[in-house]
Amino acid sequence: MRLHYLELILFSTYAELRAERARSYLGVLWWIIEPAMNMAVYYLVFAIVLKTSQPDYIPFLLIGLTLWQWFKSCVSHGGYAIWQSLPLVRQVKVPVQVFPSVQVLADTVKFVFILALLLLILWGYGYAPNWAYLALVPVLLVELVFAAAIAYLFAAALPFLPDLRFVIEQVLQVTMFMSGVVFALDVVPVAWRGVFMLNPIAVLIDAGRGILMHGLWPNWSALGVVALISLALYAFASGLIAHLTPRYVKLPA
Amino acid sequence: MTTPVIGMENVGIAFNAQVRIGAPRFWALEDVSLTLNRGERLGVIGRNGAGKSTLLRTLAGIIEPDRGRITRAPVTCQLLSLAVGFMLHLSGRDNAVLSGLLLGLRRREIEKRLPAIHEFSELGDFFEQPISTYSTGMLARLGFSVAMQVEPEVLLIDEVLSVGDADFAKKSGAALRARIHGGTTVVFVSHSDAQIREVCDRALWIEHGRSVMQGDVDDVLRAYHARAPQTAAA
Repeated sequence: MRLHYLELILFSTYAELRAERARSYLGVLWWIIEPAMNMAVYYLVFAIVLKTSQPDYIPFLLIGLTLWQWFKSCVSHGGYAIWQSLPLVRQVKVPVQVFPSVQVLADTVKFVFILALLLLILWGYGYAPNWAYLALVPVLLVELVFAAAIAYLFAAALPFLPDLRFVIEQVLQVTMFMSGVVFALDVVPVAWRGVFMLNPIAVLIDAGRGILMHGLWPNWSALGVVALISLALYAFASGLIAHLTPRYVKLPA
Repeated sequence: MTTPVIGMENVGIAFNAQVRIGAPRFWALEDVSLTLNRGERLGVIGRNGAGKSTLLRTLAGIIEPDRGRITRAPVTCQLLSLAVGFMLHLSGRDNAVLSGLLLGLRRREIEKRLPAIHEFSELGDFFEQPISTYSTGMLARLGFSVAMQVEPEVLLIDEVLSVGDADFAKKSGAALRARIHGGTTVVFVSHSDAQIREVCDRALWIEHGRSVMQGDVDDVLRAYHARAPQTAAA
């Protein structure tokens, strides 16, 4: 039974990526071009126009954006997933968690391409691979669980409150600025810094930068706390969806 | 032959009328009771909006009742659903796999049946092409061929007994009738007296979400038309 759903999730992810590739002229190339253009915009604004004087700003910015965009696309795509799949939910009996999971996985596959590109750029800049790279595995896994948890939460609520669509983007925007993606958290007044570091994404991006730029091992206790929060949130969100499933099918078409 | 596989007692189903907190609900099913025995073919009649499709989705376990009780033996029970989850940009083959997974088949079971699906759908080389290039008839053929690969112990059919153009309608109709008369337990919703008589050995009449009468096909049809002479028999 369980294996069957895993097969369904994996094949649907393949189908999703395949369909997305077929929908545009350049296909898979967009997985790289779109985030690259996005990064270029931030680079232009913060590095060139505003002349951010922080040392190592380019790698700092690129790592932040790469980790952030992965999270963001998981949440925005996954958040819509149940709402968009309601016609299917009315037709077949499958665990509804399948739908956001597929979106999160599809975005994760795309993230792998961007991560590869990021590593090439970093190596080009002279940030050599180091042993701390091993810690990328737990850092990325925790981010995956956290992204899935938040995506599940939005996905659970959206069918009842479609208006949340207009809120998700704004919330993500604010969260991005509170995650130290484009500026270092050191520039934040000390009084606020503690609040910022409560944000799991800020912790993860910080860990990612430490590893990739300085060969530093992450702060394990902070990472452990984030991991626990993420797992708890994920379990809660998944249970919430299971609890709400009988009600999704009763929503008007 | 008279082991009940599914029983419904005074089942009611309420839907939300709107997506709004505190929005009123309406009862698509008010009070339906039925027993379905193993190997039996039950026909469901009733006017538009009587709750027939809701009843099928409840039997399939997609909708849970808001009141009343459902008892079911451990059997697989499924709606004959065509083209479930089809994605336009995927090939016929990929869609067959995707749809099969959604309908509850394991990956290797579908892979094993792909040649049969390919052959029955008569799609030829189009099987490897995106279904966005298909005609309506081709889509119907693929949808039916996939749906027929799922073999639930209780088969639920909403009106459709055949699909496609004249030739394929004959072939699909024959395949489905062979399944129906091959010992499968069937619940069949239809507006057509002729089809109910042909397929079913018992009938259930529902009206405004309530089960009115259950029993012999001819008796139920007679009572149904006596109550509503304006509804012409198809």
